Amino acid sequence: MEIRAYLPLLLLMGFVIMNAVMMLGLSHLTMRSRPTAVKQSAYESGIPPLGDARERFSVKFYLVAMLFIIFDIETVFMIPWASHYRQLSCAVPLSNGLCPAGNTSFFGLGEMLVFMLILFVGLAYVWKKGALQWD
Amino acid sequence: MINEALFFSAVLFTIGVVGVLTRRNAIIIFMCVELMLNAVNLTFVAFSKLYGAAGQIFVIFVMTVAAAEAAVGLAIIISIFRHRETVNLQNINLLKG
Amino acid sequence: MGYFYQINFYIFGLLAIASALAFVTRKSPVAAALWLVNTMFCLSALYIMMDAQFIGAIQVLVYAGAIMVVFLFVVMLLNLGHPSDIADMRGTWGKLIAAGIGVVLLAQILVIQRQRLPRIVPDVEAPRNVITGIAQPLFNEYLLAFEVTSVLLLAAIVGAVLLAKRRG
Repeated sequence: MEIRAYLPLLLLMGFVIMNAVMMLGLSHLTMRSRPTAVKQSAYESGIPPLGDARERFSVKFYLVAMLFIIFDIETVFMIPWASHYRQLSCAVPLSNGLCPAGNTSFFGLGEMLVFMLILFVGLAYVWKKGALQWD
Repeated sequence: MINEALFFSAVLFTIGVVGVLTRRNAIIIFMCVELMLNAVNLTFVAFSKLYGAAGQIFVIFVMTVAAAEAAVGLAIIISIFRHRETVNLQNINLLKG
Repeated sequence: MGYFYQINFYIFGLLAIASALAFVTRKSPVAAALWLVNTMFCLSALYIMMDAQFIGAIQVLVYAGAIMVVFLFVVMLLNLGHPSDIADMRGTWGKLIAAGIGVVLLAQILVIQRQRLPRIVPDVEAPRNVITGIAQPLFNEYLLAFEVTSVLLLAAIVGAVLLAKRRG
């Protein structure tokens, strides 16, 4: 049961939540509300705000975000592959974490290459379509 | 612990179903479907404690399907919005005779 | 195990359910998406408590970090401030029917869960090492599924680009 190792994470979560509640709550309790037009306007790095914040975004942002999800999933598959690679590239079980001489196999490399090649077709398609181009 | 996890999962799945049935905003319905997928994932992880790692591997595949579904589904919603200027499913009735 | 563990398990589970309830009742899509992120975060804590650490990590990375961000993105892209989009709840009858279906479904699932779980010997050993326990079967027994996944992702890329990209 290695769950004990997560206790600091739990403490951190509790601390962060408490801290956020305290900061917002105390400033809410102690402030005196004297709104003026300037204070109420949106903060845009100090310059007077231009237009409304609720403008419609360009669909280009969506295309980039969508490609990000797909390649994020590719990475999710690559993490276990990379951490298991030593065993996957050996035809027999490891002895002392090392592959006995003459038993190297390209099984692990090959299966990931097939996976990435198929995804590379997608990347090439996106590139050809010009979805990676900004304008 | 497995029984509690199964109970949480059942409740979350039901909330997702009720959400799909009561809302008309296509994006919120889509998020309810994601909630249902998450509830099923919780069941898979709970059973993987009893029946081995296969459940966890299936969760990874479910997440992959969810990501692909989100990419294509949201693209569909965007292209519907371009034509109809709405994501309210009651106004999207082109297939109605 | 201990009480501390059990109490935390209940806290995160109930927090997940409470966030899910808040999620389905919010009117604004942005608030709904943020409550759903909270649900997914609590689920990730449950996964880690059930010895599925890798699943918990990718739950935060993929679901809360990527998929929900894209959902928020689309909400902002489409700028859903239109009154007909805000008032998206069905009428009283629709809600009643939905609640009835929900209660029946919940009862069914709970009755099915009351069944005695069969004791079968697992095909694949329960994972001991956090990542290797998953990687071993994923890249051997489930190799075909893993490779076919790349075709699914390819279809998703092509479909999304075709649908979302403006012609010309």
